Amino acid sequence: MAIAKAERLMNLALCLMNTRRPLSKKELRESVEAYREAWQQGSEDAFNRMFERDKDDLRELGLVIDVDENALDGEIGYLARRDRNRLPEIALDAEEAAALTLAARVWQQAKMSGAASGALQKLRAAGVPFSEDAEHSALQPRIPAREVAFEPLLVAARDRRPVSFEYRKAGAAVPEQRSVEPWALECWRGHWYLAGWDRDREAARVFRLGRITGKVRSRAGRFTGTVPEHVDVRAVVAAFAGEGATAVATVRVRRDAGFPLRTKALNTRRVDEAWDELEIPYGHGLGAQLAEFGPDLVVLGPDDLRADVIDRLRAVAGLAPEGQPA
Amino acid sequence: MSNAIDQTRRMLSLVTYLRERPGAEVAEVARAFGITERELINDLNVLPMCGTSFRGGDLLDIDTDGDRIWWHNVDDVAEPLRLAADEATALLVAARAVAGLPGLRERDRQALTRAVTKIEDAAGENAEGSARVGVTFEAEGQVFADIDRALSEGRLIWLRYYSHGRGGMTEREVDPIRLVTEGHTYLEGWCRVSEDRRLFRLDRVAEIKVLDEPADPPRLEPRDLSAGLVSPAADDPEVVVEVGPGGRWVAEYYTHDSAEELPDGGLRITLRSADPAGLRPLALRLGRDGRIVAPAELADQARAAAVAALQGYQLQGYQDGRA
Repeated sequence: MAIAKAERLMNLALCLMNTRRPLSKKELRESVEAYREAWQQGSEDAFNRMFERDKDDLRELGLVIDVDENALDGEIGYLARRDRNRLPEIALDAEEAAALTLAARVWQQAKMSGAASGALQKLRAAGVPFSEDAEHSALQPRIPAREVAFEPLLVAARDRRPVSFEYRKAGAAVPEQRSVEPWALECWRGHWYLAGWDRDREAARVFRLGRITGKVRSRAGRFTGTVPEHVDVRAVVAAFAGEGATAVATVRVRRDAGFPLRTKALNTRRVDEAWDELEIPYGHGLGAQLAEFGPDLVVLGPDDLRADVIDRLRAVAGLAPEGQPA
Repeated sequence: MSNAIDQTRRMLSLVTYLRERPGAEVAEVARAFGITERELINDLNVLPMCGTSFRGGDLLDIDTDGDRIWWHNVDDVAEPLRLAADEATALLVAARAVAGLPGLRERDRQALTRAVTKIEDAAGENAEGSARVGVTFEAEGQVFADIDRALSEGRLIWLRYYSHGRGGMTEREVDPIRLVTEGHTYLEGWCRVSEDRRLFRLDRVAEIKVLDEPADPPRLEPRDLSAGLVSPAADDPEVVVEVGPGGRWVAEYYTHDSAEELPDGGLRITLRSADPAGLRPLALRLGRDGRIVAPAELADQARAAAVAALQGYQLQGYQDGRA
């Protein structure tokens, strides 16, 4: 049976961490049984590929591996220096540790959840006093990341690598190819968004990860544009969801109805026994939201909003748009 | 089952941990690392094959009798390792998000904020990438704090709650079970009116009272939320919605069984709902972007509601002197 990958990685890590001088590939091949096996049963190539992959994996796990191009009479040498790999002193009290335990549980995505518990394990090994009891078990913040594009985009944003993907804009019948320099990811109301530089449109754009169809492909080369100091994905997305609107709409709402509108109303006036008049912020998407209230609501103005809601209701009622033959 | 990367990550920390704790108990170590005893034993079977030279015999001499763990040739291989970029990112993004949760106890928020600073310092440049990922949790702070108090004191809650499906206010007594945040924050509780487990979105709570009466929720298996907060029962009635390209968002917002592509770029979405009548708002919202195919009653209700709403506009028009 082939030697398990975890065992191989562990051996490579221990070799690199425990040497004071750089080790050549040949020396590592002699020290790690799995490499020797791959070399003997496979080929030089098979061993080389395995070694390169493993090195990348260990780096992904945080190990700093120094490469000395000329360490051993012209042969490349590798080592993981202790001073560069040691966790600096960190003193967390029990309260801080408990709060971090709660935080580390929030990721619902495999890679991030693995990384968060890995971080806690390192801190625990370094002596941070985590309690084993699950505190706050009735408090469950969750960060979902069901979108398949999440993981590749996270890596691309981290490494500042351009990507391309097929994207279906809201309301579009077919997806389009987009070429993007990914800046930042933001999760808002349970959905993930990407902000970045759209190379074809030569402008900053925000994408919703759930609308990316197909694979996220890594592109060669570096970013061409400069990354802004501060990327406020949330503000862009919130504006699209109608937040932060400055225009005002006036609606009549039945007495016991429309609670979500009442909580954001700028003004509420009693009309009669049955109706109240509300002034509410008029942002993107309000027409669709107001249609939901059906006969409990009448839009008074502005006219474009009133027409939008009437048209939506006519559609549901099976009527043609106003002014058009049925 | 954990993958090779996670297992390696864990074993590297495990050796550091075991070094300080000769004779550590298997059960305790497994708990500390958040893994099953079986997973730990599996790690302990791998570790004796690891070391700096398999031929020189420099392998980790770690063994266990299934109860305690011994490391016979402890050396200094096992120093605490610094945090990797992904580890720092995962922990910091989560910690900042939770610290921003409205209604979180001030003590916890401060502890988290202090911890974030310390982790940032310890992670150094590996903390930088965490600024590229952000998560916002939303909650109504006062409602959250009241429910948190009811949970920790084990007390019953009274709610005046807006029913989105019905469009009106309801009053109910709820035995709180947990607060779940996924974008919005929800109270999961046993609703004494409907005698069922329900989710209440905090921004739809108009009024809340923590009652003196103790909470007494029936013993229930925690629901698995991995597929989403809304998980319809297998025998819930089926709802079929056909949408055009402009209504594709329905598939992003509603947990569904299937979403079949239509030739015009739209979707035929099949979902289940315990209460299809509660989808009336969706039916009204769709406008020209889609329609309810089934059940027929829901489509009829939506049509009747739209007709009634349009009559309201006609009356309003006459009052205002419009056509």
